[in-house]
Amino acid sequence: MDFAWTEESDAFRMTVRRFLDRELPVDWSDIARHGPGSHEQTEFSLSFCPKLAEAGLLVPHWPEEWGGRDRPTWEHFILGEEMWAAGEPRGGQYMNVNWIGPVIMRFGSDDQKQRYLPQMAEGRAIWCQGFSEPGAGSDLASLRTKAVRDGADYVINGQKIWTSYAGLAETCFLLARTGEGRSGIAVFLVPMDTAGIEVRAIPSLIGHGDIHEVFFTDVRVPETCRLGEEGEGWTIVSYALSNERVGIPRYEMSARELDAMVAELQGRGGFGNAVIRSRAAEAAAACEAARMLVYRVVDERARGVAPGTAANLARVAVVEADHKVTDFGMDFLPDCFSGSEHSRFLSHHERAIVTGIAAGAAEIQLNIVARRHLDLPKGL
Amino acid sequence: MRLAPNQDQTIFAGVLARLLEDDGIAGFHTVANWSRYEYGEALDDRLGEAGFFEAAREADLGPVAAAMMVHEIAKAPVVIECAASALVRPFLGVEVPRPLAVVVDDAPGAIRFLPQAKTLLSISDQGLRVAPVEGQCRAVESLFAYPMGCLDVSPDWTALDTDPVEVRTLWQIALASELAGVLSGGLAAVLAYVRDREQFGQALGSFQGVQHRLAQDAVWIESAQLLALRAASSRDPADAALALGAVQERATRIGYDLHQFTGAMGLTLEHPLHRWTYRARSLRSEMGGASQAFLDYADAKWGGR
Repeated sequence: MDFAWTEESDAFRMTVRRFLDRELPVDWSDIARHGPGSHEQTEFSLSFCPKLAEAGLLVPHWPEEWGGRDRPTWEHFILGEEMWAAGEPRGGQYMNVNWIGPVIMRFGSDDQKQRYLPQMAEGRAIWCQGFSEPGAGSDLASLRTKAVRDGADYVINGQKIWTSYAGLAETCFLLARTGEGRSGIAVFLVPMDTAGIEVRAIPSLIGHGDIHEVFFTDVRVPETCRLGEEGEGWTIVSYALSNERVGIPRYEMSARELDAMVAELQGRGGFGNAVIRSRAAEAAAACEAARMLVYRVVDERARGVAPGTAANLARVAVVEADHKVTDFGMDFLPDCFSGSEHSRFLSHHERAIVTGIAAGAAEIQLNIVARRHLDLPKGL
Repeated sequence: MRLAPNQDQTIFAGVLARLLEDDGIAGFHTVANWSRYEYGEALDDRLGEAGFFEAAREADLGPVAAAMMVHEIAKAPVVIECAASALVRPFLGVEVPRPLAVVVDDAPGAIRFLPQAKTLLSISDQGLRVAPVEGQCRAVESLFAYPMGCLDVSPDWTALDTDPVEVRTLWQIALASELAGVLSGGLAAVLAYVRDREQFGQALGSFQGVQHRLAQDAVWIESAQLLALRAASSRDPADAALALGAVQERATRIGYDLHQFTGAMGLTLEHPLHRWTYRARSLRSEMGGASQAFLDYADAKWGGR
């Protein structure tokens, strides 16, 4: 058991940091103010990610065949930590890197691989994820968007909601129903400029232009847009989630923002109070607890251990870490949450408040921990 | 970064697990006069004979294996003096007989394990001191599920040259490991109870109100163990303070849940829950409790005002 980074890992982290120092513009904090899903940040990713790709830092963990370098799992994760802590300059392209690309490698046709993977590896592809619906959030399998066969095509009708990146996405990774139950779900890779797709931004507390409604009205796509087989959708989603496992390494940004908050207080001579010092450490404890649980998941993956429940525990801890840090800031630096002088705290807050809701509610994670990890019985 | 035990640590943990599976030496038995604790003499002897308390000094086992051992032993219903012997004694720079009792910053009152202790270790800013105490103390009754005692005479102290900061750090790691283990043992007992106990026609553990709280407790306990192991690996003062503060801060809420979900049964001395919860109540206030540990972390991490 060794909790220290190897020299190689440290060197890789420094490479990423140097790249970020060199490539992020002076007004980056303004661009990143409204989160990875904002219009500004999504557009920025289209100039940033090709540079990242050129430096070999966009898909280092992908196989060489698809533009990667077969680098270890931990490097991919270090990359994720550094990118998220910097405000995620990859925008929504982190999804391509983490799971959409690997899913297409596993389930895609040769044509789909050739069409989508090179674009992703070059940092030129914006995707959105068409999962949640007005009636299907935590209970994703109850989705109602339908894809009905019509000759060699499918005709899709339905509505998606909370869709990040939809405003600028070229392609949607869409879940739609071709039959009943979990076995009646299929995945479609749908060009967003297809006739019948309408995108509406939803004003929200988590950044301008971050989430959308997407309406599908008689959207006709060829059969070649289907990923895998009909009825294979749930298997594909499960594989995608197992690739993602712990999601965004949010605790890394929280830990750094906490340091920045402490520095701000120290600059004002306001970090001498024992209550404030203790509360800062309490928030740090939540960040490090989350880090440890996430590292356990990454370590399992690096050793080829099949996914278990460790990721569900980690996701619960990540929520607490994000909230404790933003609560610390609001309690002791309330003035920093107005105006533009401390935009990074505002930006962190907007990312933090969504943590227990996006990509699987914290309560769903607790359900899974209770049932599968603690072996507690199912209710009547 | 590798969070799985190495081969030697795996073998070590496996042998320890087999010892702890022996209900005769590590299981729950009620004791005469309904004492809140049972000192595991047989377990202590077996571990001592097999050299378990020396593991921290072995290159391929180290403090990480010792912290794992403290955690696992704390999960047992019987109690033995393990934390100081496994994680502190090997680094004192002198050979002193065990069991050890530890007093920090001359804290007043009864001391854990003093009735069994052969050596008392004092950790303070002035330095480290040890004293032989066998036969010099008086056992006192206590709410806590540990043997507690007071000294009748002034101890015959010998000062040590070892760095007190290093030993204080090791003691924080030891306490963090023990408290995480104690809470883990208590959680396992409560999980067994709520899986079986039925009310309103279904198992208590099937109610979401119960499930969510126990699941959250599990998240806190498992992260606490990892933080303690990381601190054992680094022996860094900030890591140690954070590990201790994190688990002490959660111990009150977790202890409440554990008692709440076993109801009146958990308040009896026929049920083992008190063996863990009344150890946790003692450990959560060691070295000044979570607030002091967090202040120690703030000092180490961020410095002054």
